[in-house]
Amino acid sequence: MKKIETNLADLKKDIGAFYKPELHHFIVMNAVQCGDKMEVQWFFNDYAYPGETTCFYALISPEEEVPGMKDIVASAWVAEAELVDLMNIKVENTMKGFVLEPDFESGPLLKKK
Amino acid sequence: MGRQYEIPVGAQHISLLEPLHFKFTTENEKIIRTDANVYYVHRGIEQACCSKFKFRQVSFVVGRVCGLCSISHTTAYSQVAEKLLKLDIPKRAKYLRMLVIELDRIHSHLLCLSHVAENSGFEALFMKTMQYREFSMELLEAVCGNRIQYDFSIVGGVARDLKPETGQLILQRLKNFMPQLEELVGIYQHNRTLSLKNKGVGVLSKDDALRLNVVGPFARAAGLAVDVRNETEDLLPWKEVGFEMITDTAGDVHARNMIRLREIYISIRIIQNIINGLPESALLTETKAFPDGEATVRLEAPRGELFYYAKGNKTQVLERLKIKAPTFSNVAGMVHAFTGNEYGSAAAIIASYDPCLSCTAR
Repeated sequence: MKKIETNLADLKKDIGAFYKPELHHFIVMNAVQCGDKMEVQWFFNDYAYPGETTCFYALISPEEEVPGMKDIVASAWVAEAELVDLMNIKVENTMKGFVLEPDFESGPLLKKK
Repeated sequence: MGRQYEIPVGAQHISLLEPLHFKFTTENEKIIRTDANVYYVHRGIEQACCSKFKFRQVSFVVGRVCGLCSISHTTAYSQVAEKLLKLDIPKRAKYLRMLVIELDRIHSHLLCLSHVAENSGFEALFMKTMQYREFSMELLEAVCGNRIQYDFSIVGGVARDLKPETGQLILQRLKNFMPQLEELVGIYQHNRTLSLKNKGVGVLSKDDALRLNVVGPFARAAGLAVDVRNETEDLLPWKEVGFEMITDTAGDVHARNMIRLREIYISIRIIQNIINGLPESALLTETKAFPDGEATVRLEAPRGELFYYAKGNKTQVLERLKIKAPTFSNVAGMVHAFTGNEYGSAAAIIASYDPCLSCTAR
């Protein structure tokens, strides 16, 4: 797995420069708690070099909003909605309640303190 | 412009036995817009795998993510854990994992085909397909001890060996199944009523499959040559046992049926090659190490690419486990491919997606 660090300001620029639908397969988004921060990850696979997984990641604070990727990766809205519901991450233009019911516990996959 | 109606389908619906809800906006019976809502049942399996269970127990937990493709989940998890442990497993264990994955693919594809027949109004074909599918369930029970939720792959290898007489039983039953498969192919391919219901219906183009990152038979029926078995030789040697990519171009329900039927032939060939060339070795590689670092694994489940991410912290309990089921990748494509179709075709289209929300709502 190739990991590429980015930040919220450059995220759309970096992924936009990398991702070509005919060359890359968007796998999923993920988030990992790292102390007080959250590592948000975007996984891609390369059609030309199929075994190679590329992971863009950005370390964010819980109150920061992650830019939505729908205009670059058309299917990203499903993964974004999942992270909003399961990890309580704020994503631009994504509401709670796609994956879970709106009144469900917030961020059930967050580690219990 | 005609009057528009909103028609809800699911979560409890006769043609959609999954916790998935679609809202179709229709005009003159034609679907002009689809909204989807998934899940309803969050089981917290990922959280449990990172808090309640030790990493060696997790393969038994993820086996409960899905009854239909539990071998895919247990194998993908075992592989990602083996990457974290830097563990190479015996060749016989790799072959046996592939054997059960392909037996599982046969029963899963036949189940999907039977549901497409049922939702197309062809009850007799539904029953015939289910009847013919039974042999694969019996073989899975003979190999794994269970008809579903077989805890076959474990971290380091496999839990059971294949007895020579079970291998011969599999070969004999596959031989008996071949004329039944020919019969099914004839019906699914040429039956006029089924063709009217399935051809040109629920079309997804190759461009849309690429744009929406669709996976599995759904993508291959649209002409997108993606199959993880073609890509991960280091984990399981698929090409060594006769894997071959199957694609179509029509992208409709009929094409998805035919992809699944043709893939069953490939699965049979792979199983025969495995049994005839099963290497002699141990079944398990032991280690006392604890998982450390990050790793990802992709595996071709019956519905497409299954993805596992794991992060270890040198303790018995994982820091993070992420599961991405194939249906999750297909949600965007599923929503897209309804548009422009008659509402009456929706049931067959849904079945042809082969959605598994049990995997998705893990």
